[in-house]
Amino acid sequence: MAVDYEPKIIAFCCNWCTYTGADLAGLNRMKYPENVRVVRVPCSGRVNPQFILRAFRRGADGVMVCGCHPGDCHYSTGNYFTRRRFMLMRELLEFNGIDPRRFHARWISGSEAAKFRDTVTEVTQLIRSLGK
Amino acid sequence: MTQKLLLKSALPAALTALLADHAVFAPTGEAERHAFTCLSSAEASETADAVNLDGLTTISPKEILFPRSETLYGIGLENGEISTPEPTGPTVIFGVRPCDVRSIANLDCSFLEKGFVDTAYVQRRENLTIIALACKELQSPACFCDSMGGGPASAEGADIMLTETADGKAFLVSFLTAKGEAIEKLWETASVLTEPNSADTAPPPPVCTLKVDKPQDLPAKLMAAFDDPAWERLSESCLGCGTCSYICPTCYCFDIDTEISGGKAEQLRCWDCCMFSDYSRMAGGHDPRPTKKERLRNRFLHKLAYFDERHGRTLCVGCGRCIAKCPSGVDIAHVIEWGGTL
Amino acid sequence: MTNEQKQTLMRERAAALMKDGAVSYVIGWRETRFPGKTAIFFVRDEKDADMLVWDEYTIPLTAKYLTENRWPDKKIGIFARGCDSKAINRLISDNQVERENLYIIGLPCEGKKDDRCLSCTQRDPLIYDELLWEPENATGTSETDLQRARFFRAEEVESLPTDARFAHWEDVYARCIRCYACRNVCPVCTCRECYVDMHRTGFQGKHHDAAENRVFGVTRAFHVGDRCIECGECERVCPMGLPILGQTQKIIKTIEGLAGTYEAGMDPEADSFLGKFDLDDKDTFM
Repeated sequence: MAVDYEPKIIAFCCNWCTYTGADLAGLNRMKYPENVRVVRVPCSGRVNPQFILRAFRRGADGVMVCGCHPGDCHYSTGNYFTRRRFMLMRELLEFNGIDPRRFHARWISGSEAAKFRDTVTEVTQLIRSLGK
Repeated sequence: MTQKLLLKSALPAALTALLADHAVFAPTGEAERHAFTCLSSAEASETADAVNLDGLTTISPKEILFPRSETLYGIGLENGEISTPEPTGPTVIFGVRPCDVRSIANLDCSFLEKGFVDTAYVQRRENLTIIALACKELQSPACFCDSMGGGPASAEGADIMLTETADGKAFLVSFLTAKGEAIEKLWETASVLTEPNSADTAPPPPVCTLKVDKPQDLPAKLMAAFDDPAWERLSESCLGCGTCSYICPTCYCFDIDTEISGGKAEQLRCWDCCMFSDYSRMAGGHDPRPTKKERLRNRFLHKLAYFDERHGRTLCVGCGRCIAKCPSGVDIAHVIEWGGTL
Repeated sequence: MTNEQKQTLMRERAAALMKDGAVSYVIGWRETRFPGKTAIFFVRDEKDADMLVWDEYTIPLTAKYLTENRWPDKKIGIFARGCDSKAINRLISDNQVERENLYIIGLPCEGKKDDRCLSCTQRDPLIYDELLWEPENATGTSETDLQRARFFRAEEVESLPTDARFAHWEDVYARCIRCYACRNVCPVCTCRECYVDMHRTGFQGKHHDAAENRVFGVTRAFHVGDRCIECGECERVCPMGLPILGQTQKIIKTIEGLAGTYEAGMDPEADSFLGKFDLDDKDTFM
């Protein structure tokens, strides 16, 4: 594996929590790895499992889905559906021989700028260590 | 025309001789994995294990001439550079059944005739030598090639014809075209051919058990029956899947798709199937063939009437793959027979 | 009762229904050219009934054909075994068909000559208007009668290490020809327009290669996984003989691990697993 390998990570972030959290991280001038490409979605419940597969197919090294903490969904229940869906999805990816460490789901609220930075940094390091 | 003898024990040497300056495709694998694959030199020299000349392959060899997906050209997204795929070199298909050989003539009609020559296809076609293998036994109860103008020992379209001898130890080889004679020279040099003696004879070819009565005026009869309610019955169990088209040796529909990845956009030609709902859908959303009845009717009319009208050939060679593999019992032989009763 | 006797009963019943004008047609099975292979058949008038068959090869599922006629003028008659009835339940709870549009003739099944019937959990119909003969086992096949583990196909793959699992599916999807027979035969795959047929949207390319086929295979499994009735039709129809039932079996197995016993199609009122949620669902997402 090349030392300067930089993974590409796609993060689907809920507009109301994680995206706002990422915005706050920027306002606070926090630094996080530029490997992450944020895709804003109205709710983590909007994330179709197909998005994950498509991202991997198009060459993403890792995929993240981030939304509001359970109970905090802007639409009341969206992230409860997300939770079930991606618990299942992760198992299915593992079953298909895709390392489960390449797929992460996280709850990050609009005030958790530091958690966003830390999560993204940690996931980037993990995926960099996994290699291509 | 001279006939030579190729002992089965000399088959590895014969294939290895071909591999020196050809890509060689031969049937390998068992059951559903039985398919034409490009042989490596190791596989050629271990013919007895790798090459499987028994039975009809699951998928026809048409993908050698008309690949499932083929890149027409690519464009670099950064530099705008246009790249075209490497042309294929001389290719040999070894052990093709007579029905599949006849199907290549059908592909030629659609890709080379009527004033249009497909550049990708013609390049592969001109480089292709076909070594056919006559059927010593019936390949499947669904075979009906002798009802469709071919036959289990028909050499139509082949460059070289192999016929297994009665004792099963050798093939009688006929070199039928200039391309075939070039291979003959190659094999003479490799000294894999011997002279047949009077005992080396081929048994009479098998006779298909499935007899389909195909009338001369089938195209006209079927086209007159365009609005016949029987199409409802014929299509009722159809699932609308693409099994029949994709395993068919003569189906040639394709779609052009673009794929953008790895800093490159590629224009791809991919197999398509007339049973799919997006096949005939138009830009505004209207579909002239909205249900499986219209789609199935179109598929059979294309095979048995439209193609005949345009090219003077039936677009079915009677290999029987679709009848055997259709998961819901749709049967082209029934359609032909029904057409005959009209 | 022998299969011939059962077949006679079916023919008589279908003919009577058509004569009464109670139904517009009856969905059953007919013979094909090959012994050991049957096909779906619509009885459209009294005379057709004599073409119905019932033997150890009447394997195809009848229920999927209900989705072709969502607003019938008259009731649709349908022969239903355990698996068909699970599919009908699923179609009813997914609002694909309406119960009052169906006349279901229940056929307790003795198990067919098909590999996938070995792990059948429900031979007797769950939902019917009449039962044509008495079930041999009034409660349906109990778990202990399973001749093979319920998730046999998933377990074959689970035991492999990650790389070997990847290689296994790479081999499967390299051979896939994307004919979509698995999609079309699936009784719970009921979208009027499949995402696959909207290829300009970019979800699914037309490109035939292992990676693109894999996207289709996993997506298909995920779309139907929580509603899968485990009939195995997807494997039966696959012209390439691919062991794809493992994908949905794995999903059901995971659901059982998350939420306890789960079997789709047992109840026409039941929601699918991903169509509802529980406030106390477990997650490992932090």
